[in-house]
Amino acid sequence: MQRAVTMLLTIALQCGAALAWSASPAGPIARLANGKPDLSGHWANPYTPDMAAKGRVLDPLTRQPLTLTGQPLPDSKAPAAGGGVRTMDLPYTDWGLQRWKSYDPVHDGDYAGSCLPFGMSRNINSPHGVQLLQTPQALALMFEQNTWFHWVPTAGQKWPQDLPPSWNGVSTGHWDGDTLIVETIGFNGYTRLDTAGHPHSRQLKLTNTFRRIDATTIEHTVTVHDPKTYARDWMNARTWRLKPASDVVMEYSCEENNLDNLMNGTIKPWKAPEVDDEE
Amino acid sequence: MKNELARRFGLAMLLILGSAGSAQAHHSTAAEFDQSKPLQFTGTVQKVNWTNPHVYTYVEVKQAGAPPLVYHIEGGSPNTLFRQGWRKDSLKVGDVVTVTGQRAKNPESTNVGAATILTGDGKKVFSGDGPAKVAAGE
Repeated sequence: MQRAVTMLLTIALQCGAALAWSASPAGPIARLANGKPDLSGHWANPYTPDMAAKGRVLDPLTRQPLTLTGQPLPDSKAPAAGGGVRTMDLPYTDWGLQRWKSYDPVHDGDYAGSCLPFGMSRNINSPHGVQLLQTPQALALMFEQNTWFHWVPTAGQKWPQDLPPSWNGVSTGHWDGDTLIVETIGFNGYTRLDTAGHPHSRQLKLTNTFRRIDATTIEHTVTVHDPKTYARDWMNARTWRLKPASDVVMEYSCEENNLDNLMNGTIKPWKAPEVDDEE
Repeated sequence: MKNELARRFGLAMLLILGSAGSAQAHHSTAAEFDQSKPLQFTGTVQKVNWTNPHVYTYVEVKQAGAPPLVYHIEGGSPNTLFRQGWRKDSLKVGDVVTVTGQRAKNPESTNVGAATILTGDGKKVFSGDGPAKVAAGE
């Protein structure tokens, strides 16, 4: 009897060890002095030039793919970013659909090609990596893209109420268990959500969540809430991987050679619209 | 356990799918270049501008009865290429290369996009595979 109990205990311990290994194959996550996960590190955030690519648009409540018509929009002013015709690839409002169909950076001016701030969403989508630095009071996102940074207070600090709208908006963070939730508002409305040019308005509230599930992995979601542009909320879910120590964050100056392209007409410089259709 | 494995497989697939694609960062290739206007030429490397957001390789092409034409071949970002193992001197001044790509929409521009650059011995320089794989012929 004692032998059977010992065997059962041994099997149980081995199963437990196997489960523990399965849960954290890359090792345990580092934690801050306040016990919350430390997200610090140099991360590979998946390059996402098209947030509405097939199967990528999820229902925030169920995390299942949203059913979208995908109806072609042949009266769009410009082709889709990868060529072809733009489609009903997101749940647009009438206003949002007009913004999607009329986006034409080649002829109307390219704000990203002009090296102006890409906006929080497009920074998160960028292909070059993000250095995160976290303390119990705040999270700093240091994007390699154009060497931009974004500051996120996480301990209840308040931004001034009368800050002017901005390209990247203002963010505040709070914890839900081990998940950091970063909400960003206060956009000037000049940016697009991604390289493809999906629109948003000044009403945008962008919610990014970060959950470090092991030493080398962050589960990331981004939810778009913008009732002026979209008839319902939608989200993307992605996985970030810690970069190897040999991969360091590097300087990136957009102006370095885009200045020539802007001056010789290859890229049309962006100007703020003379008619503000959000007033 | 099964659910955990399925979740991890799903995460791995998301990472793979999310990492695929070109490394364009600031604008769409379709915005600057005309897919309906492909071109191919052979010339000599005049210089390599190792600058953000895109590396530009200047390739001089001789023309009968006219001054040489210098094309500016747009590549990935230097940071991305560096991580793949490429360096500014992966191509040297005077190297003979064959370029395939797309003309710029602006008729006055000699920029070439969505380009591949082949050296005389058939190596694809500044490609996403990195020099080690290219040298191994993968």
